[in-house]
Amino acid sequence: MSQPTDPPGTPPDSAIERELTHDEFDPIGTAVLITLYFLILVGMWLFTYFVEFLGNGPTVVGVIG
Amino acid sequence: MTSYIDQFPEEARLVKAAMVSAFLALAVGATFGLLQVLHRTGMVRVLSSADYYTALTAHGVLLALTFTIFFLVALFTWGITTSLDRNLPSMRFAWGWYGTMVVGALMAVVAIFAGFLTEPPTLLGEELSASVLFTFYAPLQAHPLFYLGLAIFVIGTWIAGYDWFRTYWAWKRDNPDERTPLPAFMALTTMLFWWLSSAGVAIAIVVFLLPWSLGIVDSVNPLLTRTLFWFFGHAVVYFWLMPAYMLWYILLPKLSGGKLFSDPLARVVFVLFLLLSTPTGIHHQYMDPGIAEGFKFIVMVNTMFLLLPSLLTAFTVVASMEHGARQRGGTGKLRWLGKLPWRDPVFTGMALSGLLFAAAGFSGMINAGMNINYLVHNTFWIVGHFHLTVGTAVALTFMAGSYWFIPQVTGKPLWNRTAGLVQVLLWFLGMVFMSNAMHRAGLLGVPRRTAEPQYENFAFEGAIGSVGELDAQVVLGGTLLAISTIIFLVTIVMTMLGDRGEVPDNSYAGTLSGPEHSPAILDNLKLWTAIALVLIVLAYSLPLAAIVQRGGLFGPGIDGITRVLPPIDTIGGLVEWVVGR
Ligand code: HEM
Ligand SMILES: [Cu+2]
Repeated sequence: MSQPTDPPGTPPDSAIERELTHDEFDPIGTAVLITLYFLILVGMWLFTYFVEFLGNGPTVVGVIG
Repeated sequence: MTSYIDQFPEEARLVKAAMVSAFLALAVGATFGLLQVLHRTGMVRVLSSADYYTALTAHGVLLALTFTIFFLVALFTWGITTSLDRNLPSMRFAWGWYGTMVVGALMAVVAIFAGFLTEPPTLLGEELSASVLFTFYAPLQAHPLFYLGLAIFVIGTWIAGYDWFRTYWAWKRDNPDERTPLPAFMALTTMLFWWLSSAGVAIAIVVFLLPWSLGIVDSVNPLLTRTLFWFFGHAVVYFWLMPAYMLWYILLPKLSGGKLFSDPLARVVFVLFLLLSTPTGIHHQYMDPGIAEGFKFIVMVNTMFLLLPSLLTAFTVVASMEHGARQRGGTGKLRWLGKLPWRDPVFTGMALSGLLFAAAGFSGMINAGMNINYLVHNTFWIVGHFHLTVGTAVALTFMAGSYWFIPQVTGKPLWNRTAGLVQVLLWFLGMVFMSNAMHRAGLLGVPRRTAEPQYENFAFEGAIGSVGELDAQVVLGGTLLAISTIIFLVTIVMTMLGDRGEVPDNSYAGTLSGPEHSPAILDNLKLWTAIALVLIVLAYSLPLAAIVQRGGLFGPGIDGITRVLPPIDTIGGLVEWVVGR
């Protein structure tokens, strides 16, 4: 965390514990997050398919009752 | 201490003025947002349902065009001057384009607001009004003042772009061997596609809609003007988004305590947007009869390609944040997230914007599919979608960014960090409620752009939940958003009224992998512009030709232009005479 006294938008230099160069840095967390995102997308696609296409007749929008 | 105002005092005043203009538009526009929510759900009706469209026009024009674009010119002016470390050539010239934009915006806004009067004043022999929504499709017709105002506003942005380009050219002469700094590169590529795409809307306005509203021509070809609008209308969404992307790329890594993962990747992203922003516009017209399915299919393919730069952005920006978190001792697969500076409203606002933008990625993919688009077209789903994109990814990023920029351009520290933090959280929360309910309502078939979405003998049936529950969520969300807007405006005003003090340095993120790792061809703006032009010609020439062939330039037949023909005859005669000599 940046210090509560720092003005917002100050880079938290004081909190930096180690320098990571391009070769030392392995963005594994990013890979995990993006995989999660894709899984959510796929899940939502399936959900949409079942609810909207299998659940409704061929009408485009709404049902006039 | 080197804040922006110390380095560029003159430019800082201009940036501040443009930002304040943006905030004024936000204040008025958001008020209408709340009124719309209350009106549609029938909670409180301040306006008559007929005036609803005037309000909705004001909301769209003030927020989607005025707020966003004023903020953009402020940001790009900052980005060009800071990254090239160079003043604008002439401040008089710069105030000139800013003034042009202000005049244009005021003209359009006056025309819109006159629509609220029971007896609007008459100007040029016509009653002043412009309740045509921000898409101003024919056959809806506005007073000429509205079209003229919009045209002048857009011309102001063109001149601003020229100003940034000549600053860049001067820098290039002095530094022939250096790579273009990233923020400047981003601003310039964005302006290039802006010129290409806004040419379409300029033609729609100046050649067709304005003469039509002035009574010079009797009719227009509605599909032609619609298509010209969307020629610009998809690119404009990237015009809103690119400044937000710029902030994510150059501020978020720094605030996280890290560096931008890859400068070359960021350049590739902006080049892709230059190439693909315009030849995708027809995806807003999937439901328009009069455009062949084949053309729509080409555009769908372009649109799917356009997902790529946004996915690249998600990767690069998140990886940069992770870099910062790990440098600050973050570990684990996901535990590093806790090391991010969540108490900083600038960071948190932008990070939450990005999160909701990812959610919008899902509804965007639904919208983009030619067949599945039929499910959601013109429903409340669409409104839910773009309040996540322009209404949050862009607007919340701009608001969070303001907590950094207003101190930069005034030299005054942010008034209250907690207020800022509460504000960005409230916006996030309010938008989650409002937008989610809008998406769901859209799936039930609830239409957008309707003052009274309930009809006699017609009920929307919910698969889960009820329309009452959805309405309640929309109202709750809209109210939280309105409160958030007020806190934002108070924080900005209090900051500007405060005393000068300690503010962060004017700097942006360094890079883990710099431009030297990318081929120089990436910076060849002429090449990319040429390819962008070719793609536009490929996507648009045949559809436009077909539309004109079927519906005429000014509507079916040539009747519409009887009054234009005599002057054209005169000019033709003149040309013949000159050539004949
Ligand atoms: C205070 C927060 C906001 C609320 C409560 C709100 C509410 C709404 C509602 C209910 C509609 C749909 C009305 C209808 O279709 O009948 C709407 C439309 C729209 N909103 Fe917002 N909005 C807010 C903020 C924003 C922001 C920040 C932006 C963009 C920067 C924005 C851009 C738009 C646009 C472009 C439309 C479409 C207008 C049209 O259909 O012509 N809104 N808004
Ligand atoms: Cu689009």
